[in-house]
Amino acid sequence: MSESDGSCIEKSSFESAREFYDQWLKTYTATTGRLVDMPAVGPAREKSEKMMKGFSTFVNLYTAGMDTNSHFQGVFMEAMRKVKEKTAKDMKGEISPERYKEFYNIWIDTYSETFKDFSKSGNCASDMGKLNSTLMDFQEYNREMLEENYLKPMNLPTKTQIDEINKELYSLKKTMKELTGQIKALEEKK
Amino acid sequence: MNGLMLIDDFEKFKHGMELFLKPPDFSVGTTPSEMIFHEDKMKLIHYIPTVEKTHPVPILIVYALVNRYYILDLQPDKSVIKKLLDEGFDVYVIDWGYPSGVDMYLTLDDYVNGYINNAVDTITARSGLDKITLLGVCQGGTFSVMYAALHPEKVKNLVTLVAPVDFDTDKGILNSWAKSLDIDKIVDYYGIVPGDFLNSAFLMLDPFRLMIDKYVGMFDRIECKPEDTACQVRNEDYVKNFLRMEKWIFDSPDQAGETFRQFMKDCYQKNLLIKNELMLNGKKINLKNITMPLLNVMAEFDHLVPTDASKPLSDAVSSSDRETLVFPTGHIGIFVGSKSQKEVCPKIAAWLKPRSLQNGNGKIGSGNEEKTKSAKEIMNEQIKTIRRARVNKK
Repeated sequence: MSESDGSCIEKSSFESAREFYDQWLKTYTATTGRLVDMPAVGPAREKSEKMMKGFSTFVNLYTAGMDTNSHFQGVFMEAMRKVKEKTAKDMKGEISPERYKEFYNIWIDTYSETFKDFSKSGNCASDMGKLNSTLMDFQEYNREMLEENYLKPMNLPTKTQIDEINKELYSLKKTMKELTGQIKALEEKK
Repeated sequence: MNGLMLIDDFEKFKHGMELFLKPPDFSVGTTPSEMIFHEDKMKLIHYIPTVEKTHPVPILIVYALVNRYYILDLQPDKSVIKKLLDEGFDVYVIDWGYPSGVDMYLTLDDYVNGYINNAVDTITARSGLDKITLLGVCQGGTFSVMYAALHPEKVKNLVTLVAPVDFDTDKGILNSWAKSLDIDKIVDYYGIVPGDFLNSAFLMLDPFRLMIDKYVGMFDRIECKPEDTACQVRNEDYVKNFLRMEKWIFDSPDQAGETFRQFMKDCYQKNLLIKNELMLNGKKINLKNITMPLLNVMAEFDHLVPTDASKPLSDAVSSSDRETLVFPTGHIGIFVGSKSQKEVCPKIAAWLKPRSLQNGNGKIGSGNEEKTKSAKEIMNEQIKTIRRARVNKK
């Protein structure tokens, strides 16, 4: 089978990109990663240690993204192979526009079913969990940096401060509702 | 021939685009109603009865926090609420509103023992009765189960519609995803969990159908020529219905973080509710406290709340009068599907009517004073009537 027949699908994979990234990650962990994780010293140690942590947070997110991509890519390749199998006979020669709807239906059914099968797997759940967790770490870090380096020096309110007020408000409202209920109950007793 | 087909499809697309460029006016939740009580963002809505004398026991509908309640009143001909009104019930619904930062610390206890309880008290005070029917939908059904277990003295009948209670199932993709999520990190970061965050998870359940095929299908259904006026009207109605559903799907309120944390961790991850181990404000929820009549309704092809998640409720309660109904439809289809409209509501109404009787002094009967027909018996009677009519016709 020549590549023009679609055998290139068989050869395509995300694996080479994945291998390259794994190699990079290994080197990074053994070299720069260790430097980044080193305890900071000096008058600006608190700030610089926090700032250095950002890089690890980003690497964690990127690694989780790489895992997810690699699995997704596998699903797409599998779906593509299935579509090829189902349509191989009809795809020879010129494809008539009359049949494009038929192709569309095969395409959408196959991709949808293959993806749904993957969604049910433990791999998908674990990928989503890791990706989400590292994304939250990354976002939390960015917010912390924004608050520390921009909002606080400019004397602008931060989310942390607003949340404190929200908590206080919630607690006050709850107390007020409880007291109102008690007053009502006492009035009814009278 | 080929060229003609392409021109035909292009015409459909062009006409669809024209319809979208001048979108038809559409509205949702049009059944006449009045707001009778509000607390923080929560509103208690009372629907204006469509019959002179309603059944004595009012119904309070509790919907989920993740989407808006008006799916039950999407359009006049697809409205669970209108159907219940026409069947003679006095209907109330809780509108949870759109939580904001100030609501991020609201807990499950605030929703169940606070808002729902206050809504129930308001209705009982208005009606002069001491009990109401609680109809909980989806997550609102789970809340209703919690409420009925904690306050059985205020609930005459409990109807759960596609409500999850046993979260330890491998049939639902959401159940398996939820177990792998670090809920604390999500809530700690967002505070108020964005509705779009949850919506993206729903879309990921079947991205090709929900993000591509749905829209292709919409244009594909637009089928008539500009000069065919009757067909144009059908097209416009179809687009209106499509837009109503589209509005509902993406009208996703944000979630109060602490409630989301407890619901996800205690229910989805630890499955405490069905084990009778869930605590609300220091009180354990024991499903055995549910002694009132129970109607547990579910959808056979529900991809969000599989029947495995709802069925165990019937065995977990103490109610002697309990019934389970499964309809061959999906999670949303059960409210808006044309077939469902003809089957689901009438059966719920038929089950509720004999159980919505009132004794003197504002006290409500147990529902067992007269032999109540089960929904299955009613269904069998309906089938017999149809068969008899067919025989007579022949």
